[in-house]
Amino acid sequence: MSLRFQRLLIILLSLIFISISIGLILINSKKNLVFFFTPSELINSNLEINKKVRIGGIVKEKSLTKLENSQYNFIIIDNKNSIKISYYGLLPDLFKEGQGAVIEGILLKNNLVEASSVFAKHDENYMPKSIKQQLEKNNFWKKNYK
Amino acid sequence: MMSLLGFSGLFLSLIFSVILIIVYFFENRFYLKKIFYILVFLSFISILISFFSLMCAYIISDFSNYNVFQNSHSSKPLLYKITGTWGNHEGSMLLWLTIMSIYNFIFSFNNTLEQKVKKLAIFFQTLLYICFSLFVIFTSNPFLVNTIQITEGLGLNPILQDPALAIHPPMLYLGYVGFSLVLSLALSGLFLNKINTMWIITTKNWTLFCWSMLTGGIALGSYWAYYELGWGGWWFWDPVENVSLMPWITGLALVHSLMMTKKEQLLKRWIVFLSILCFSLSVFGTFLVRSGILTSVHSFASDSSRGIFILILFLVITSFSFILFIIKSEESDQKLNLLFINKTSALVINNIVMLVACITILLGTIYPIIIEVITNKRISVGEPYFNSTALPILLPGFLLMSIAPALSWQTNKFPKLKNYLFIFIFLSIATLLISFFTNFSIWGFTGVLLSLFIISASLLSLYNNIRRNGFKNIFLLNNSLIAHIGVGVTILGITASSVFQSEYKYSFAIDDANQIKNLTIKLRNINVLEKKNYQELNASFLIHKNNKIISTIKPGKRYYHVSKIITTEAGIYRNLFQDIYIVLGNENNGRWDVRIFLNPLVNFIWLGVILMIFSGLVGMRKK
Repeated sequence: MSLRFQRLLIILLSLIFISISIGLILINSKKNLVFFFTPSELINSNLEINKKVRIGGIVKEKSLTKLENSQYNFIIIDNKNSIKISYYGLLPDLFKEGQGAVIEGILLKNNLVEASSVFAKHDENYMPKSIKQQLEKNNFWKKNYK
Repeated sequence: MMSLLGFSGLFLSLIFSVILIIVYFFENRFYLKKIFYILVFLSFISILISFFSLMCAYIISDFSNYNVFQNSHSSKPLLYKITGTWGNHEGSMLLWLTIMSIYNFIFSFNNTLEQKVKKLAIFFQTLLYICFSLFVIFTSNPFLVNTIQITEGLGLNPILQDPALAIHPPMLYLGYVGFSLVLSLALSGLFLNKINTMWIITTKNWTLFCWSMLTGGIALGSYWAYYELGWGGWWFWDPVENVSLMPWITGLALVHSLMMTKKEQLLKRWIVFLSILCFSLSVFGTFLVRSGILTSVHSFASDSSRGIFILILFLVITSFSFILFIIKSEESDQKLNLLFINKTSALVINNIVMLVACITILLGTIYPIIIEVITNKRISVGEPYFNSTALPILLPGFLLMSIAPALSWQTNKFPKLKNYLFIFIFLSIATLLISFFTNFSIWGFTGVLLSLFIISASLLSLYNNIRRNGFKNIFLLNNSLIAHIGVGVTILGITASSVFQSEYKYSFAIDDANQIKNLTIKLRNINVLEKKNYQELNASFLIHKNNKIISTIKPGKRYYHVSKIITTEAGIYRNLFQDIYIVLGNENNGRWDVRIFLNPLVNFIWLGVILMIFSGLVGMRKK
């Protein structure tokens, strides 16, 4: 193999590699995006059933029911709408009724989500910025969360 | 009192640094020659006093200090009072400054570089130091004093009260902040056009040290997440984790390029570029985390004025460096010895792979911000994106690293190619057969095959080297092979613990037992323990393996009185080949929800990391 041919080969290989990488980035960033909603936004959006979503809001008081071993149902609300959640698994330590939570899962019906993971408020002061803005907009922001 | 002392130290060290900058320009006057290094020392001592007086304020619980009041409590154990110093934004920025100054001070003893290059590097490092100390004084002063008398503090976030997390920030910062010295060295060499062998050896040593510390810091953080957060994993692709990974990958590329230049004196511009990129990414990461732009579980209390300040710092540092880079760097007249298969081409491809991987992670991390700004929609990019993008991109790099150390610099002959090929074919068939008869997964197959190939090919190269050179200086001569074995071991651990992890959910009453494979797990009792600053609910599980008792696992939950937070303490039975990992859930009518994970080979991850750090530190002694 001549020197020039060898170099050409390397440059060619690198180019192929880089284009594959760009392809991967484009495909994966399209496929793996999860949209983030509050309950009202979710109900107003025309999201397809069986899509992956993230919902942030407040766990409704007295809505948490335990069906059987590790199977929970509860309701996430903002001040206008509510979404039913069903979840199989351990709830995080900080999960409480009347407190903020973020749920990731599959949209089963317009107002029912099967959660694959539940995140609770991280500490006394913590609330994801995105939820906070939305809740403030909907006048749902209690002063004492701040 | 402590606050006053601390602030004076901080301010004095800034003044000394400013004087040093002025002195630099007049250093030809005879009486100023010695003063230069004395000023480095004075600035170092003042910031040290400042740092220790903050630590002292934490130890004696001096709640007149606003920062101590916000982040400490008198009932905390002494260890966490000390480490609480850097468990908050202001304190951690003071640690940042202190480490920056320590690097500057230790570097001033360097005797391998020319005086001129060394002085200019100290000059740049001091400039960087001034920028960051202005940031601390104006936006994150840890020495603010409360206007009213306060007798008790608010307490440190309980999940930070942990030994691994106590040493995690200093180690991480030794890496992050250390790259500032690499940047200063690069700028100095660039400015004086003195990027020669001595410069490369010096830079290589500092980079290796910083990179090793960063590796250790990141690993400690993951290790902590593994046993403290209680979800059975150790890596979350959280923004904070991603921003630490970016300088790590760039630093790794830099370490490799420095090796290449040592042999051939080539690619100087590329090295300078990477050196600038490392610290830029560190500062950019700091900006993303501290400004509160990204939502992350690790977020510090955020404040937009800080964000803007760091953003300006980032823009100034980066643009200054890159402009200098464009103006000053010279076209090198030597050509790369780029053949199809030789060490040079392997290292070039390695660099491309690493940078592309770094860009992938960067894009995934800032993509949500871009989308929100443009479309006002909020999205999140999670684990699936990173796994299915970054991992395939790293694949050719992993393949290459198994054989690259055995390649030659000059020719494209690959000695003993047959042996390596034979190993690869043998391993492929073996792995395929095994995974075919157990449970086949494409990720598992690829990961196991790759890691086994990296380990065995590196061992083969090691064997060849030992036959040639004997056992003398075995670590020094083969440190890159050892590092590669470490990577292989880590990949094996990562693959096994993520792909072959099994999770079980049970509900236990006391004296209940459940069978998992050949293990019997029995809940013996649940106790309540009163500790100094928390109350602990402690379960004890008896583990039988083939009807023999092997261990008791004690997972628990802690309730911290001061901050009213519950934390999970996972119970882990460690074994080289498998961890049994138990998390205690909630109680319901006398039955406890329990999650049990079997994590195979997870300890290989930490073992591999130790090998990498070891070989990084050994590499510093290489000439």
